[in-house]
Amino acid sequence: MTLNVRDLSVRYGGLAALSQVSLDLADGEVLALVGESGCGKTTLARTLLGLLPATAEASGSALLGGHELVGRTDWAGVRGARVATVPQGAMTGLSPVHRVGAQLAEMLALHGGAADPAGLLERVGLAPAMLGSYPHELSGGQRQRVAIALALAGEPELLVADEPTTGLDAIAQRQILALLAGLGTSTLIVSHDLAGLRPYADRMAVMYAGRLAEVRPARALSPGTAHPYTAGLLTATPVADRDVAWGSIPGSAPALGQPPPGCAFAARCPLAADRCHEERPALVAFGEAQVACHRHAERERPSYPNVPRTDGLPGDVVVSAAGVRHTYRSRSRVVEALRDVDLEIRAGEIVGLVGESGSGKSTLARILLGLIRPTSGHVTLEGRRLTAGRALRLLRRRIGFVHQDPYDSLHPGMRVAALVAEPMTVAGVPRGQRPARVRESLTAAGLPDDPEFLGRFPGQLSGGQRQRVSIARALAGGPALLIADEATSMLDVSTRAGIATTLRALATERGLAVLLVTHDLGEAVQSCDRILVLRAGQVVEHGRTDDVARAPAHAYTTRLLEASAALPDGGSL
Amino acid sequence: MTAVPAVRRGYPRYLAGRLAEYLTVLLVALTLNFALPRALPGGPLKLFGSPEALARLTADERAQIATEYGFGRPLHEQFLDYLTGVFTLDLGTSLTDGRPVTQALADALPWTLLLVGTSTVVTAALGVTLGVAGALRRRRGKGSGLLGAAVVADSIPQFWLGMLLIVLFGVKLQVLPTYGVSGPDGTTVGGVLQHLVLPVTTLTVTGMGYLFLYTRSSLLTVLTSEPVQHAHARGVPYGRLVRRHALRPALLPVHTILMLEIGFLAAGAIVVETVFAYPGLGRLTFDAITARDYPLMQGAFLVLTVLVVVMNALADATYPLLDPRARTGGHS
Amino acid sequence: MLLKAPRRKLLGRQGLIGCGGLFAIVAIALYGLALPDEAGRERVAEPYAAPRAGLPLGSDDLGRDLLDQLVVGAGTSLSLAFIVAAATTLLAAVIGGAAGIGPRWLSVTLMRGADVLLILPELILYILAAAFLGQSFGVRTAILALILWPVPARVLRAGVLTAWSRGHLEVSRAMGAPAWWLLARHGTYLIGPLLIPVFVRTAKVAIVYDATLSFLGLGDPTSPSWGTTLYWVQTNGVFLSDAWLWWALPPGAAIMLTVLCLALIGVAVEERLNPALREAVR
Repeated sequence: MTLNVRDLSVRYGGLAALSQVSLDLADGEVLALVGESGCGKTTLARTLLGLLPATAEASGSALLGGHELVGRTDWAGVRGARVATVPQGAMTGLSPVHRVGAQLAEMLALHGGAADPAGLLERVGLAPAMLGSYPHELSGGQRQRVAIALALAGEPELLVADEPTTGLDAIAQRQILALLAGLGTSTLIVSHDLAGLRPYADRMAVMYAGRLAEVRPARALSPGTAHPYTAGLLTATPVADRDVAWGSIPGSAPALGQPPPGCAFAARCPLAADRCHEERPALVAFGEAQVACHRHAERERPSYPNVPRTDGLPGDVVVSAAGVRHTYRSRSRVVEALRDVDLEIRAGEIVGLVGESGSGKSTLARILLGLIRPTSGHVTLEGRRLTAGRALRLLRRRIGFVHQDPYDSLHPGMRVAALVAEPMTVAGVPRGQRPARVRESLTAAGLPDDPEFLGRFPGQLSGGQRQRVSIARALAGGPALLIADEATSMLDVSTRAGIATTLRALATERGLAVLLVTHDLGEAVQSCDRILVLRAGQVVEHGRTDDVARAPAHAYTTRLLEASAALPDGGSL
Repeated sequence: MTAVPAVRRGYPRYLAGRLAEYLTVLLVALTLNFALPRALPGGPLKLFGSPEALARLTADERAQIATEYGFGRPLHEQFLDYLTGVFTLDLGTSLTDGRPVTQALADALPWTLLLVGTSTVVTAALGVTLGVAGALRRRRGKGSGLLGAAVVADSIPQFWLGMLLIVLFGVKLQVLPTYGVSGPDGTTVGGVLQHLVLPVTTLTVTGMGYLFLYTRSSLLTVLTSEPVQHAHARGVPYGRLVRRHALRPALLPVHTILMLEIGFLAAGAIVVETVFAYPGLGRLTFDAITARDYPLMQGAFLVLTVLVVVMNALADATYPLLDPRARTGGHS
Repeated sequence: MLLKAPRRKLLGRQGLIGCGGLFAIVAIALYGLALPDEAGRERVAEPYAAPRAGLPLGSDDLGRDLLDQLVVGAGTSLSLAFIVAAATTLLAAVIGGAAGIGPRWLSVTLMRGADVLLILPELILYILAAAFLGQSFGVRTAILALILWPVPARVLRAGVLTAWSRGHLEVSRAMGAPAWWLLARHGTYLIGPLLIPVFVRTAKVAIVYDATLSFLGLGDPTSPSWGTTLYWVQTNGVFLSDAWLWWALPPGAAIMLTVLCLALIGVAVEERLNPALREAVR
């Protein structure tokens, strides 16, 4: 055994972030620690590295080859040499003023590694020529490889990788995970992406509200056998296959330090019985797995609400873009952000705009919103051109916008009522009509409309609720077109499908035209009627979702499909 | 370390861009110097003596001066003449003692260079060192005595501090000279250095507060930045973390502040040289102001400004040596 | 998670001290503004009088009351500082705002202009301009505002750029909100906190620069000010006698205390705006 964690608990200022976690890691094993934000997985990783903030109190034990990690104050000779990290966001985590070679040499000198810098680079699949490069000259994937090489320099027994693929595109993500899995070093990968890690890990540990819910060999993990929460996470990860349903777990995780008396997941669990609400389940062995669930021995499986598929035919064209080009200058070169893009969205239709960062998808969304004027080409909304000045402002009121970042798109000093009413205030809707429309919009967005909720500030809402307030605000303006720019990308996996369900309901019931901008082809396949794939400013694929998912026309789409959480055993769950 | 070709590609371009900016600054300084006397209430004639002397001039004499100095001619011709004058080092004649302005400036310039140069080095060294110390103390949660001292030092008016130093060291303790640059036995190296102590102290104390505050805040920011946090997570010990990973990025913005500091010290020279009767450009400026000797005043201002611009340009040219991103055209 | 960040006080202890001190000085300044015109200008005693009852700080070389000069000087200094600070902040907000959200050519022009002015030393420009353009209160105020805007304009431009990229402002723009709404509802909230340090710093600089100008003999000769008093100290060589105690010490201390109070407020506000400075623990 490389690592033995026993009864590890961590509290921040008295609030429990991690409770009674026990976990083992065998030599050379890759263990994936999975859960949503706030579940305690990062706290566990930081405990193992001695990086907890000063306010944290840790108890229990974590033994790494005879070295106790909990409560250790002197980390010399341990951190970097015995336990090393591949940190989150290594895109910006390398020293900007030192060459790669010098950074590797520093690690080797500090931790007494026997390898040479060029050898380390080769181990992570980089050419030795990169020793002379500065980090800003490398791509994101290359920088993350350098970060892995830095971690390997001290020949550690344990590698802790905290969300190692954040900020990378789908294809680079898989390459990095494959690299980590093939190193042969005991590795703990901390991630929110259960389905994405399954092919690369030996074992999966799922956390919920600071406790382990389930530990199971990765090959044995399936919705048919798993803990209800694990099953929920699996169905909540969108797969680029129309035959697999996309579901969501209702509700949201309990707040830090306010655990319910029974099972923390009981409030959201479709299988919850009275006992689940009263008595906390222990983590017990079931065959080769350990599961914390009262009802695990029973064969009943949880069922979660799924995103509905399309029914009915789309109506008239609401918005159309023709020959849209956009170029801009950056330093001294000209960047072509968009090249001859055509697009049409009909009433009641959801169109997915898929592309990686830098593909031009956000630029196109902003052109449709009238926030950016295209260099050439034009956009027509309900028969009228999006131009400039007052005419544009009036026309914009027919477009609703759901911003990517739920934590930034709501003015922190405005109450829910004022936030949702903003489009009406701006458009000068008579005061008397506003409250009724605010309530109606909140209901349509799946939120309560009682006075208590109307009086809340954004700081008192969860991420999912914030995004629904954003949707309600977009609806309050009475739009014909709704543009959702990566509207689910910053939400927890379990709530993403819920947002997609709401968008579908709005399209069918209100005849809204919806543009769903996303980097996740799986999400687009699950929730859209038609899909456009953008790459480097050009539409490389355009068609009905079924056709795109089954028989992509472009090789790039095929690669995206492969990268989009499809499972090695063919994708059926 | 082996040089990557990209390093050389960016540097000349960087220099060319900065050079263009500094030439613009010089042109603006010259234009201001040319335009301000001509915007003088009462007309440029006022340049030629005290109000009483001007009142005695006859109309003919006024006309003669106007023709001689070309005030009646189109502005652009006057400007060309002015530029020609500047570049041939002909800045007119001092109204008080009839010396060529260029001569007076040339006599004073070395003293100011000595004063401002010494002060810049001392201020930079002390300000940055104490700033780093302050940040590290703050990191360890210790008291903020240094911070308080820096805020107080930053608030003292230069001329007043100079006076207090004279009272203390010159009048009460009588240990340091307070006036000029030469003692009773003429101008000696030792004497010059002694005479430098109080003026440099005044400039340093009042000038390093801002540098201290900026360095401290910059280092604190960098210590919490991702690259440094990640290095910490990789097991780099604290001392090395500060020296090797935090210090250089933290000092990059300080470098920019240092350039503002040079302007501050040059302007401070006017005040400090006045208080200590130091025979540099500042003292010359003060005398010119008192005597309303406009040609001399203009000349002194011009040289001070050029001095600041040149020192800035030199400091700027060294920036890419600190920051590889400025060399290779990466994002900063 | 529904954790609320603990509310922070706007000002810490230093900030409160700064505010208290500043209020006291403002009160004295208001009193000074209310004094009759001849206070500090008229001969009330023999020249070079030492402090005595009824003349707490003695008199200067023309027999004028030095305490009166100090109090009247407070009025002049503070009103100039606050008017300059307000004008500069406004100018910087307009220029920085235009550079932040205006067309590219305007932004480039304004910021290049600011860069050029930044390299020219502020105090030297101020002395030069005041020497040629005159020394009345209005002219000095105008010159200072015109010289001091570049630094705040850069700060505010950066603030506006950050604000304009914020989600709630972009959403508001996308719903067709007019510019005044963006500014009033979203802009003030995002940029407002930046104006306090800008205002404080400018007031501080204005006091010091104006005192320096007066000290060099370029002040308004008709109105008493702290710098002018010190100009007479310098020209009369006062610090060779004991008169420096009541003649040179008070006006310099007054300048220092005023600037110090402003600096304390500035440091307190800036520490609260800079998250890196907030975190004291490792």
